[in-house]
Amino acid sequence: MSDDSLIIYEEEIEQIDSRLTKLLKGAEAKCALLVDKDGHLITRQGFTHSLDTTALAALLAGSFASTKEIARLVGETEFSVLFHQGKKDHIHMSLVGERSILVVIFDDRTTIGMVRLYAKETADELAKIFSHMSDRSHQGHPEVSADFAATAGDKLDDIFKD
Amino acid sequence: MVSINYATREVSCKIVFYGPGLSGKTTNLQYVHLKVPSNTKGKLISLATDADRTLYFDFLPINIGTINGFVSKFQLYTVPGQVYYNATRKLVLRGVDGLVFVADSQPDKMDENIESLNNLKENLAEYGYKVDEMPIVIQYNKQDLPNVLSQEEMNKALNPMGWPEFKASATEGFGVFDTLKCILKLVLEKAKAGGTAPTVGQTSPPAETPTAVAPAPPAPQAVAPPVAPYEETPITREPAPPQEQPSTPMAPAARQPSPVAAEQPRPQPVIAGSSPASSPAPVDRPGEFSGESAGPVAAEPTPAPQSVYRPFPGNTSEDEQKMQSLEPPVMPAINPEPQVFGDPGSGLPGSDKNTDTNITNPAGAPRMAPSLKADRPRKKRSFFKRLFGLK
Repeated sequence: MSDDSLIIYEEEIEQIDSRLTKLLKGAEAKCALLVDKDGHLITRQGFTHSLDTTALAALLAGSFASTKEIARLVGETEFSVLFHQGKKDHIHMSLVGERSILVVIFDDRTTIGMVRLYAKETADELAKIFSHMSDRSHQGHPEVSADFAATAGDKLDDIFKD
Repeated sequence: MVSINYATREVSCKIVFYGPGLSGKTTNLQYVHLKVPSNTKGKLISLATDADRTLYFDFLPINIGTINGFVSKFQLYTVPGQVYYNATRKLVLRGVDGLVFVADSQPDKMDENIESLNNLKENLAEYGYKVDEMPIVIQYNKQDLPNVLSQEEMNKALNPMGWPEFKASATEGFGVFDTLKCILKLVLEKAKAGGTAPTVGQTSPPAETPTAVAPAPPAPQAVAPPVAPYEETPITREPAPPQEQPSTPMAPAARQPSPVAAEQPRPQPVIAGSSPASSPAPVDRPGEFSGESAGPVAAEPTPAPQSVYRPFPGNTSEDEQKMQSLEPPVMPAINPEPQVFGDPGSGLPGSDKNTDTNITNPAGAPRMAPSLKADRPRKKRSFFKRLFGLK
């Protein structure tokens, strides 16, 4: 379990955020989210204050996972790009590397072509960052804070009381 | 898998409630959602059929607050318990950090419990997870019903691994929190054992020795090289350095006759393609070169006394001779190779039939805009007018 853990540091988040900001400016999209395939939200940029990004991340990851199974059934490895079209807002999802999904939410102020163009460029850049993160993760993880689990245990007892 | 974000200082874990259909997995989440403080829970999302059977998963985020400087979040999922939903059940298991196996305590459901447990092991194995390394808690649910199997009987049938076990009733609520607290603690313990729990104050990856606990380890050196920071790269037209084209009389430093220029045959003053990239700043002359982005060949008079180049109608023959002795205007140096300037009308590069800048600019200077092209004939006429003193 520990070998697969997703550990992201500030420097990497700054790099990712700068690229998401560039994506939003270029494509004129509303917001961009980076989600890992397990449903964890990695980071977000843009107008996300009105969104439940935690639930959104879980559902989008689930949607992406289900289409992967669909792809497998029709003989594909997986679908690397998904697009949901709504009346006002639309969602473009694209695969980043092996374990992340770039989600762009946009409206009619821009076009799917622009979003797709910039999302592809951003996904390639992010894949390089994740590749570096993967290399770094093999060098070891930070040392454990000894009382982390114990402190959490006390807090759990406080919260989960019948 | 545990997700640790040092930028937002968040730890996120994924807990999955597994078990046969109608064993009470969704009811467990509903009870948790009902009872935990509102500032701790997120929205309970159920992807269910019209008959309230879980179609894909239920999802409940729990935020237990800050622990040692990190916000600890847990994502609680359920799976669809029905046998034919195994494909989606397996998808939910991806990246799981801890499992709660919710068993139905009714005697006639034992086969389904065993089948689901075996299915869990198979699906975990497909992801490469080892059952003996995965934090798992088993819950004997529906203990409020009459004629249910005892904990000993359930344990004997389902728990040879010795997982922590709890009697519970999700509808009445007892045992639900005990189960949840146990799995959360196990997940955190597992994260600790795996070395992934965060250290307070750490902002960057450790140095070469992972065991070194430093408040501020050095920043990773390899962060920047793989991906260069984004920089806007606008297309700019920068004048070429004069030293790169020493044989070019048009270069600002070589306007005066130089030995190199003197050895070359003096070309006829023709107007051919000019390059903004290698020419000096244009001089605006209303009515003559307006709209030309690059300085034309003979447009700029040299400040030296003998460089009075601009003819006027009152020129005498001596003036004409003097004018011819001056350094002629030539093409801007685009190509370091000596350019061949053809006679006007010959069609060779540099002749007046070639009005396309790219023909005489093999180095690839940007093509002129159509609006600028339209000004070129007028520019040629004005040049010859000035050369021969015509109006």
